[in-house]
Amino acid sequence: MAAAAATAATKGNGGGGGRAGVGEASGTRKKKGPGPVATAYLVIYNVVMTAGWLVIAVGLVRAYLAKGSYHSLYYSIEKPLKFFQTGALLEVRIVPSSVVLTSFQVMSRVFLIWAVTHSVKEVQSEDSVLLFVIAWTITEIIRYSFYTFSLLNHLPYIIKWARYTLFIVLYPMGVAGELLTVYAALPFVRQAGLYSISLPNKYNFSFDYYAFLILIMMSYIPIFPQLYFHMIHQRRKVLSRTEEYKKFE
Amino acid sequence: MKHYEVEILDAKTREKLCFLDKVEPQATIAEIKNLFTKTQGKSLKDEDVLQKLPVGTTATLYFRDLGAQISWVTVFLTEYAGPLFIYLLFYFRVPFIYGHKYDFTSSRHTVVHLACICHSFHYVKRLLETLFVHRFSHGTMPLRNIFKNCTYYWGFAAWMAYYINHPLYTPPTYGAQQIKLALAIFVICQLGNFSIHMALRDLRPAGSKTRKIPYPTKNPFTWLFLLVSCPNYTYEVGSWIGFAIMTQCLPVALFSLVGFTQMTIWAKGKHRSYLKEFRDYPPLRMPIIPFLL
Repeated sequence: MAAAAATAATKGNGGGGGRAGVGEASGTRKKKGPGPVATAYLVIYNVVMTAGWLVIAVGLVRAYLAKGSYHSLYYSIEKPLKFFQTGALLEVRIVPSSVVLTSFQVMSRVFLIWAVTHSVKEVQSEDSVLLFVIAWTITEIIRYSFYTFSLLNHLPYIIKWARYTLFIVLYPMGVAGELLTVYAALPFVRQAGLYSISLPNKYNFSFDYYAFLILIMMSYIPIFPQLYFHMIHQRRKVLSRTEEYKKFE
Repeated sequence: MKHYEVEILDAKTREKLCFLDKVEPQATIAEIKNLFTKTQGKSLKDEDVLQKLPVGTTATLYFRDLGAQISWVTVFLTEYAGPLFIYLLFYFRVPFIYGHKYDFTSSRHTVVHLACICHSFHYVKRLLETLFVHRFSHGTMPLRNIFKNCTYYWGFAAWMAYYINHPLYTPPTYGAQQIKLALAIFVICQLGNFSIHMALRDLRPAGSKTRKIPYPTKNPFTWLFLLVSCPNYTYEVGSWIGFAIMTQCLPVALFSLVGFTQMTIWAKGKHRSYLKEFRDYPPLRMPIIPFLL
């Protein structure tokens, strides 16, 4: 009697009882997806970002074909690069990935674009800049289309595969480009005393941008492996799960 | 009246989540959900009595490993002894910090000596309070906190001390006036902070963990309780603002800002738990800044 009554109760209030129970008792196991308005907004955001990075990619190719060399291509895509990479600040709170990791990555990118490449004009013609621009461009096109398709619940496997595989090459490539660019900027920062303040001054404070940049470069040593292996771990989880589901079908 | 035994399983994993063995037949699903969340939700206190728990005659206790722990007293002593010692290294201009020609020299500015006295006094006070005044609700905290906390306290202490004791230090723009005013703020806030710590200690008898609403006492410094839940934090922020004005040193101001942010978070949490625990909590009180925050 008791068993039957209990099951009857759950079946009867199937929707209501089940949902409320999950919410109160065991916390958020089933995350409710964003509502229709939020979804529309997110889709638009991700489509715009995908388009933006495609513009950058196309810009790079066209400039390369026009110039005949791959040097100094930065200037041809400088504006859209700044616009769309800085625009990514909006997404820290809204993408499904961890807030800490996302904000960290966006902040470091924005830092590189404005505080290094933009601020130290002499490095803009360096090849290392092209290295990270290409890495970021390919990564972002895939990432934003991944989000777009996920939101629309029609994710082609190739996009998922690309997102979780290409990083193996693109990530180190981007990091190499970033580090080489910062390294190239160092002598100019030292010479111009860029963004630096020394003693004595009435606020009893000093800041050495040169030393700061070196610190930033060194921070890549503990941080980059962690992020890289996190992605590898994610890859194993995500791509093997797809294999399992395929087996059941 | 026959009671029901209710077994609640996880819908996905079929894992047994809870077993309620004395459920009234008239109980609604809502009431059963309530019993379930009560047993699963907040962690139990050491003082809870088994009979009073809503679990019938079979009690299932869930064990959660909190990881390596360290006592609060140990953490406090370590994190406060550091700044005290580190600041003095800079004050005495120990070798390898500033240029060799400055080794063991002394600053010619009075305010630098005054700042050393204030900073040292502050941390000696904290150490003594930890040993003789504070009564802690929890015995321990996670081990990694000591690394986090010490990095914060020791790091900032070194950063501030470096500039204040630097051979190229610039004394405050408004001279003796500014220093006197700042010192007054600092001293008043230190006395205030200490008064609050004593008042909080007197609220709780030795060895107990009871919680009561703090009220103003005869000591005028405690009258701040009329306006804020955590006047100890208010006074602490005040002390550091005083110190920042006294030294006119940007790193000190930044340290005050970071400390203020953290203490505001703590004060808001404390304020919320006071409101939850006491129905008659004074409505005029704000968490940390009178009328504002």
